[in-house]
Amino acid sequence: MAVAPAPVPTIAIDIRQLPRTLPWYAEVWVRMLRRKPLGTIGGAIVVLMLLAAVFASVLTPYGFSETNLRERFVPMSAAHWLGTDQIGRDLATRILYGARISLYIGFGAITVASVIATLLGIFSAYWGGKIDLFVQRAVDAWMAFPPLLILMSIMSLLGPSVLNITLVLGVAAGIRDSRIVRGVALSIRENTYIEGARAMGSGHVRVTLVHILPNVLPTIIVVATTGLSTVILTEASLSFLGLGVPPPYPTWGGMLSLAGLDHMYRAPWLAIWPAVALSLAVFGFNMLGDALRDLLDPRLKGGG
Amino acid sequence: MRPYVLRRLALAVPTLILVSLIVFSIMRLMPGDVVIRMVEGHAYAPTVDALRQELGLDRPAHVQYLEWVGGIVLRGDFGNSYWTRQPIWDEFVQRFPVTLELAALTILTSVVIGVLVGIVSAVRQDTVSDYVGRILAILALSVPYFGLAVLVIVLPAIYFKWTPLWTYVPFTVDPIQNLKIMIIPALVFGVTRAGPIMRIMRSALLEVLRQDYIRTAWSKGLPERAIVLRHALKNALIPVVSLVGLQMPLYIGGSVIIEAIFRLPGVGLFFFEALTRLDYPVVQSVNLIIAAMVVGLNLIIDLSYAFLDPRIRYR
Repeated sequence: MAVAPAPVPTIAIDIRQLPRTLPWYAEVWVRMLRRKPLGTIGGAIVVLMLLAAVFASVLTPYGFSETNLRERFVPMSAAHWLGTDQIGRDLATRILYGARISLYIGFGAITVASVIATLLGIFSAYWGGKIDLFVQRAVDAWMAFPPLLILMSIMSLLGPSVLNITLVLGVAAGIRDSRIVRGVALSIRENTYIEGARAMGSGHVRVTLVHILPNVLPTIIVVATTGLSTVILTEASLSFLGLGVPPPYPTWGGMLSLAGLDHMYRAPWLAIWPAVALSLAVFGFNMLGDALRDLLDPRLKGGG
Repeated sequence: MRPYVLRRLALAVPTLILVSLIVFSIMRLMPGDVVIRMVEGHAYAPTVDALRQELGLDRPAHVQYLEWVGGIVLRGDFGNSYWTRQPIWDEFVQRFPVTLELAALTILTSVVIGVLVGIVSAVRQDTVSDYVGRILAILALSVPYFGLAVLVIVLPAIYFKWTPLWTYVPFTVDPIQNLKIMIIPALVFGVTRAGPIMRIMRSALLEVLRQDYIRTAWSKGLPERAIVLRHALKNALIPVVSLVGLQMPLYIGGSVIIEAIFRLPGVGLFFFEALTRLDYPVVQSVNLIIAAMVVGLNLIIDLSYAFLDPRIRYR
């Protein structure tokens, strides 16, 4: 019994008449402003930090390693807003430049980490089977190490330098984050449009780049932003132990270091301000990351 | 349950082999030669080559690896320190109680603070106490523990003439004095780790409190205290336990820094001193022992779910 299909009514829509919608990467900021006050504050702190880092040399008349032995241990004053240290360097200047180093290492390491996490995660998920099993056991083994212990070991062998710490933190975070990318890629791989693409003759590279990568991208952005605070904090811990950024570069972790403990008893601002700067930065990136995660990829929520 | 335990134990073996391979390769592939420093700076042997031979570093890498792992598996021998020639395992065992005590006190502080604040926050949702609790949690997440430690050492010393106690006394010698020494480091570290615990406690309890059996408990006329503490808390604690388990590496890693700051003679200080002297065997073996402990702990935590939630089945 053949039934003639009902005629499909045609709907005419003039797309020029529709309200304009923003692309997802622009719209997310609008939603953040409306719904996430803490995320907005975090974002503002991050923007301030970026400005401090970019304009450090304009914002202060002093150089970051400019010493002045006549002005040692000067408390907070008009000339030195946050005081000076044991060899007369301006603390405010060093904190501004510290933002530059922190962000430089933070963004550098997160870029490295995102590339590694994406490649490793998609590779492992896409090929599956024995390859996936082996890669995941290796990631398991890597995750058994307390991150600080293994990073300290590697940094003490390589020697402290900005490039070394950026690469080491990036690779370590990349291996860890590949687990999350793999999880998302695994579920995307099962979609029928992937099967469709393959049936139409798309090769592995095309399927991966055109169909899987764009869908993993929001996850990667979320993992990268939430990872930034951890990277900045880890860099500070390593510099604190003297295994991160070598002097004379000013880093917040290095400024807090135990080597300066005797001076801090004499000038407590040397301990207070780097700790405040570091906490503010971590707070900013944490809140921004949390908000972006809720807005972009609520699946990743949970776990502290 | 027994086959499940055995299967999990068997799965841990390949992980441990990979762990040992990773740490061994890292130690051998990196530049930074300790032997040169030992000969030139400290005259440990007449020539670099002689010392290399003495330490067995002239043999191929796979022989060294097999000897290291073989010693551990067959004789429980983790090798000797290059500098002191003392067995690593003995030193580790001797120092481990300090680290264990620090870790236990830290976990205790962070769990007690996190769980209490989390319960108050959840039960009094959207009140002033909830907001205060949540703000405290965010603050705890943001303040780095080593920064807090430095402030705790420096500021009271200046303004109140009070300093933490620097001379370590073992628990077995004088328990009271020992606890007086350990409590400050444990509090500093524990407070900063309480943030995530509070957050997860709050969200887990909120979810449990919405369930049907809680409504039943209310309608039976039970007091709020009994409902929250006896009925809801047990189920809401599961994510807290798994979070503490997942964060165990962070507790151990952080204890290195805390021990270095407060001069506690634990495994962390041992590890840190070995690092500064590039004492490969110590760094390598301590990394391995601790990673093995993390693997073991994860296993125990997986099994402990059985106690907290009998609904979880083993396959």
